[in-house]
Amino acid sequence: MSKIKLGVTTHSYVEDWVDGKATLEDMFRHCAELGIDGIEIVQSSMFPDYPYVSDAYAGELRRLENAYGVKLVALDGNMDRGKRYDRDLNENEMLKILIQDLQNANKLEAPILKSQYLMGPEVMHKAEKYAKEYGVILTVEIHNPETPTSPIMTEYYNMMVETGSTHLGFTPDFGMLANRPNKAEFDRAVAGGARREILDYAISLRYDDVSREEGRKLLAAKDANGFEMGMFESMYGYMQFSKTPDYEGLVKILPYCPIMHGKFIDILEDGSESTIPYPEVLKVLNDAGYEGYITSEFEGSVKPGRSSFAYVREHIEMERKILAAL
Amino acid sequence: MGFVMRVKLTEILRDGTLKNYYEMGKPAGYQVDVRLAYYRGQYLSVIDELALTVDGVKAEDQDLRLCVNGKEFAPWELREAYQEFWGIKTPATLKVRMPGGLAEGEHKVNLVLMFHCPYLPLPGAEHAYAPVDSCDEKIMTLFEAKNI
Repeated sequence: MSKIKLGVTTHSYVEDWVDGKATLEDMFRHCAELGIDGIEIVQSSMFPDYPYVSDAYAGELRRLENAYGVKLVALDGNMDRGKRYDRDLNENEMLKILIQDLQNANKLEAPILKSQYLMGPEVMHKAEKYAKEYGVILTVEIHNPETPTSPIMTEYYNMMVETGSTHLGFTPDFGMLANRPNKAEFDRAVAGGARREILDYAISLRYDDVSREEGRKLLAAKDANGFEMGMFESMYGYMQFSKTPDYEGLVKILPYCPIMHGKFIDILEDGSESTIPYPEVLKVLNDAGYEGYITSEFEGSVKPGRSSFAYVREHIEMERKILAAL
Repeated sequence: MGFVMRVKLTEILRDGTLKNYYEMGKPAGYQVDVRLAYYRGQYLSVIDELALTVDGVKAEDQDLRLCVNGKEFAPWELREAYQEFWGIKTPATLKVRMPGGLAEGEHKVNLVLMFHCPYLPLPGAEHAYAPVDSCDEKIMTLFEAKNI
């Protein structure tokens, strides 16, 4: 029996949330209906008084937790390093953002705060004492195109090993484990004006680990249009995929991972995820003894006539099926 | 460069919100509500371009205000509004000073609203972040509420 725990992030419901079709209470209720006891909240999308938390909001959250038996397992923070027009934020300014986020996590009794890599290892190191004080584990998200062993993440890892802190860690996002392109995105690009043979060529460049610059030149030589170039750039960014996902790196950093984002783009008719090899991923994590939460993070587009809630349900069902067979 | 993000999860120019506003009992200008096209809110300082054009007439910066959180900002003040957060569920009201206001009926409204995503740096660039397109254009109907 796997000890991996399943949760959901509010980000999964964001289309319905932004368009006024879902409330925070709907999300808690949906988790309860699915038998899910952990929810993660994206502050900059959900908090009415962002970047602050009012007592009223804290009280409302407590009511929802009690009413539905669903507890807050993590808060998501953003590192808006580029919010000034004239320069990037300096270390003190970024540290201030982290302290505020940690205060929020403490106030709402969230055990984990996820922030983003732009803070840099030095600022994260400086924030450690506040994390300790507030009783919160501060994590840096590993999101495509980063991997557990990419240069910046290696710097974070080394800093964590050196400090030996129990209050610093990673939040890996499964998007970095994708091993095939996202079919729905490609269909949309074709509908928008991309040629399938050029996209197939771009995919082959990605699979062969051709460098981004070299790939741009090769595509330009084939007169690639804007849609085709856009897809190529995505494949080296947030849509990155590889034949050999970095499982070894993931297992290496596992002691520093209190939570992970179960990214998904679409659930296919056969019940599998469209881009990420979940059976492999969950087996690797289970074999390595992972016992933390995986919070479902839907990042595809809701198809007409459906709702984000249906996608979350299908994702949880898929994960449960895989975990039960381990 | 060249790649611009578009994350439109709800209507940007909000239907039913185009109306005249009054000062001293007379139409002093018009206003319309807008929402941000993204999945999270943003500080006003990430807005790089804001312009409103109605029936081909572009509002002068002097006459345009973005109103949110009970405050009113001129376009040139936005970039220094580092601490003013525009929530993703919050409509902001664009007000344009135009004595006499707009006539009742249909108007072609065009919004230019470009911002950058402050946590997504462009690869290889110094202090440059991914541009996001929150522009919109539609025919909107203005109703006068003079009998209310």
